[in-house]
Amino acid sequence: MSYSDKVIDHYNNPRNVGSMDKKDSDVGTGLVGAPECGDVMKLQIKVNPQTNVIEDAKFKTFGCGSAIASSSLATEWVKGKTIDEALAIKNTEIVKELALPPVKIHCSVLAEDAIRAAIGDWKKKQESAKPLEVQAAQ
Amino acid sequence: MANAESKSSLIMLGQSASQASSHSLEDATPSCWSCGTMRAVHFCSSCGKVQPPVPVDYFTFFGFPRKLNLDTAALEKEFYALSRKLHPDVFGQAEEQERSWSLEQSSMLNDAYRTLKDPIKRTEYLLRLEGIELEEQSKQATEKARSTGELKKQVVPPDLLEEVFELNMHLEELRAQKKVGEDDPALLEEIGRAKLPLEEKHDALLNELKSEWNEWDELVDASAEAGANGERRKILDKMVDVLNRRNYIRNLVRDVNEAMEN
Repeated sequence: MSYSDKVIDHYNNPRNVGSMDKKDSDVGTGLVGAPECGDVMKLQIKVNPQTNVIEDAKFKTFGCGSAIASSSLATEWVKGKTIDEALAIKNTEIVKELALPPVKIHCSVLAEDAIRAAIGDWKKKQESAKPLEVQAAQ
Repeated sequence: MANAESKSSLIMLGQSASQASSHSLEDATPSCWSCGTMRAVHFCSSCGKVQPPVPVDYFTFFGFPRKLNLDTAALEKEFYALSRKLHPDVFGQAEEQERSWSLEQSSMLNDAYRTLKDPIKRTEYLLRLEGIELEEQSKQATEKARSTGELKKQVVPPDLLEEVFELNMHLEELRAQKKVGEDDPALLEEIGRAKLPLEEKHDALLNELKSEWNEWDELVDASAEAGANGERRKILDKMVDVLNRRNYIRNLVRDVNEAMEN
């Protein structure tokens, strides 16, 4: 099996590697894993609470080239999107963009899971923060 | 990539095995091409001629029940006996067709042996035979999360993922340091401290897996239909759960050992 040029490019020059403060209320963190191969992927987003736009995204993945490329691409794609737009990203779009072979489709599934988990974490923070805002307003 | 290759060949065999799974060996095995009597899997029990391979699962291939506690000494003995009998040298003078059957049988023999002798591969193979497709399950769960907006449940506990992630961060740091010829004793010590608990965890998971084996084998012993009402599935799902956690721990044990050696 050989990697596509796009996978190799993301692997050699991964975009947005790094981490953000997971305690920040505007940051959502998704940590997901693919047990078949033992890969782990962390994807974080920073959301503008006024516009719901994802202003920044970071990732760190321990896994194969396809897993790294999938998550690198995922951070590129979610940046500038609203939460709802980011939730519409499908793993099959990642497969297509990176020309992943069938044995690597699970890497794209993992990246989609990571986006959803990060957004889920951010939403949870917003909900638990709400009562405080109400209190502050009173 | 060896991994991808073995995966695809197993999937192929899994398919043919599931076709054969509803049949007994007698159903799957036609009569001997040479003398017309009832044949065995590899050779005709009557005239001794080599037979074309039949789509039976690896357990049936060796004449074992579909149980997970397997007598590996008996397996090895049978493997070497059959290897000798199916060896291409034996068929040097045989008809072209028989030579090619013996080759096909030999290659299935090797695959079957390699799969069954390894406890993890054996378990994974049984799960596939029983129709459990891990990747397909994960993909469907993601699609469901997409359409319902609910969060997909991760198949391993979140704290295990955290542990895996943290240790990988340390290992990466250590590798980066070594590249530039530095050495941080504190970091090395921290990674070293993880080694023993990880190995213990790995052993504990193997023990957990073996107790699931026992439950499975008891069901198989009880009867062919025993546990059809979900009990079988419950045991198989538990095995999946153990294997999933073990994959992570196995990788960590491997990576920590690698980091300590270099």
